[in-house]
Amino acid sequence: MSRAAGSSRQRIGAVARKDAAELVRNPGAILPAIAMSLGSLVPAFIVVIGAPMIAGETLQQSGEFADEAQAAAVLVPELANLTGNALIQAFLFHQFLLLLLLVPVVGAMALATHAVIGEKQSRALEPLLSTPISTVELLAAKTLTPFVFSLGLTWITGLLYLAGILAVGEPGVWRSILGFRTFLMFVVLGPLVELAALQLSVIVSSRASDPRSAQQISSLMILPITAVFVAQLMASSIVSHAEIMIGAFGCLVLNAILLWIGVRVFQRETILMRWK
Amino acid sequence: MPAALLVAEHLTRMFDTRVAVSDLSLSVNAGEVVTLLGPNGAGKTTTMRMLAGLILPTSGRIAINHIELSAETANEARRLVGLLTEAPGLWERLTVRLNLLTYARLHGLSEPQRQVDEALALVELSDRAGEQAGKLSKGLKQRLAIARALIHRPPVVLLDEPTSGLDPASARHTRDLIHTLRADQRAVLVSTHNLAEAEELSDRIAVLKTRLLAIDAPAALRRRIAGATVTIEVEGDAARWSNFVGAIDGTTADASGSRLTVTVSSLSAVPDLVSALVSAGARIQRVVPDQRTLEEVYLDLVGAG
Repeated sequence: MSRAAGSSRQRIGAVARKDAAELVRNPGAILPAIAMSLGSLVPAFIVVIGAPMIAGETLQQSGEFADEAQAAAVLVPELANLTGNALIQAFLFHQFLLLLLLVPVVGAMALATHAVIGEKQSRALEPLLSTPISTVELLAAKTLTPFVFSLGLTWITGLLYLAGILAVGEPGVWRSILGFRTFLMFVVLGPLVELAALQLSVIVSSRASDPRSAQQISSLMILPITAVFVAQLMASSIVSHAEIMIGAFGCLVLNAILLWIGVRVFQRETILMRWK
Repeated sequence: MPAALLVAEHLTRMFDTRVAVSDLSLSVNAGEVVTLLGPNGAGKTTTMRMLAGLILPTSGRIAINHIELSAETANEARRLVGLLTEAPGLWERLTVRLNLLTYARLHGLSEPQRQVDEALALVELSDRAGEQAGKLSKGLKQRLAIARALIHRPPVVLLDEPTSGLDPASARHTRDLIHTLRADQRAVLVSTHNLAEAEELSDRIAVLKTRLLAIDAPAALRRRIAGATVTIEVEGDAARWSNFVGAIDGTTADASGSRLTVTVSSLSAVPDLVSALVSAGARIQRVVPDQRTLEEVYLDLVGAG
């Protein structure tokens, strides 16, 4: 009889690879994330490029956002070297950058709910739990594939955003997007927001019987981002580096709380007896 | 003396205040098939889950291949057990091979591809390896689930209702596989509602209804319950002898034509009865003991008869 060893990494990898293989065969799980990715790109270009084209005058000529952009340039170093229409475009593109954070949230929600509820619906959890995988490993595996996929999609969305700006924006605007602020948004805050959305989705999925109802509850994660985005528009300002870092710290704390809950929800016995 | 690969002693499992399994003790040796029989809600699945290390007993002990099962050893113990769950629980969007390959990786097998091939060959699914699991028939899905349970060649195999809902050919295939596992010196515990199957497969049958009501070889189990009937065919009218037989202690008789159906306390009383009848002048043509069926024994034990 062959004796098996196998490391924690191997077991997490096995389930994550399986989840990835299932996801690519499940358009219903992937489409909301892709739709969100494309949808988050459109508003910025409508406001910054489309509306002035229709009006027949540049943003600078219309006089809109000029003062706000000047004020923001003082606070946001990425805008400091820009002037005129380029400064206003960069200001607005930075405002709309926050909208791209909805991509990891929606992606994580869509994929994680399918990854957990799919197992429940096919009654695949019991045989899975009869293997040497620990529940913490299972929790890690169930978040890994959606995390990597959503993060990848977010970064691709960011690159498309940048490419769009490069193609239709004023010269130099695209360079302002490549600054520290974007780094904070996409490499620090984005993954943390995504991880929180993932963990919340996994926890909610453990109690829900179909992906849609789980997604409805998990969509609470969208609210803070939308609220900050709307507040930004209302105040005609940009979330600063410091505010992004405060947000990231808040997400870190939230993640720690959700992990604490998640580990308790992911008990073998709870999964077998209470997950219906 | 055969080695007990699976030992359970005084297992009790409670869910809040409800007792699912009470004081259950049994063992399964290498090369032995033991069947768990019991009505719905008798605690069979809970027992299987405890023995597979999925849930811990409230009290009692379990040893799997001499490893004492506890929260600390459960992961190690699960390597030694192959569990076929009641529902196949396959990843239906994935191919047959990928389903098995994932489990081979989860068990950390050294040559996963080769071991997947072996498992597929064992359940005769090699030619379906590339098919999507969800498109297989129910019988083939069950075979795949069995292959999954056996891929890491566990010494202890737990099969929860392995032939439930299968057509006769698929059920036959599954039973043949269980015989193969016995020949391969695995300890096999099967839960089933199918009494004929239990009788055919089992070295011993355990009757469970929250607690263990009986565990024995099928033939011994049939003998265990008091009372047996014997049909005695006599020359002429049997009614002549019914009062004579009825007067013997512990015996009742019904006559019909030349046949006398006699209920005795045990089949061991039959020779004396026949001798008494011959001495009284009866000319006996045939004596046919009627053994109790396993179904009668089972219904008697679980109190549903």
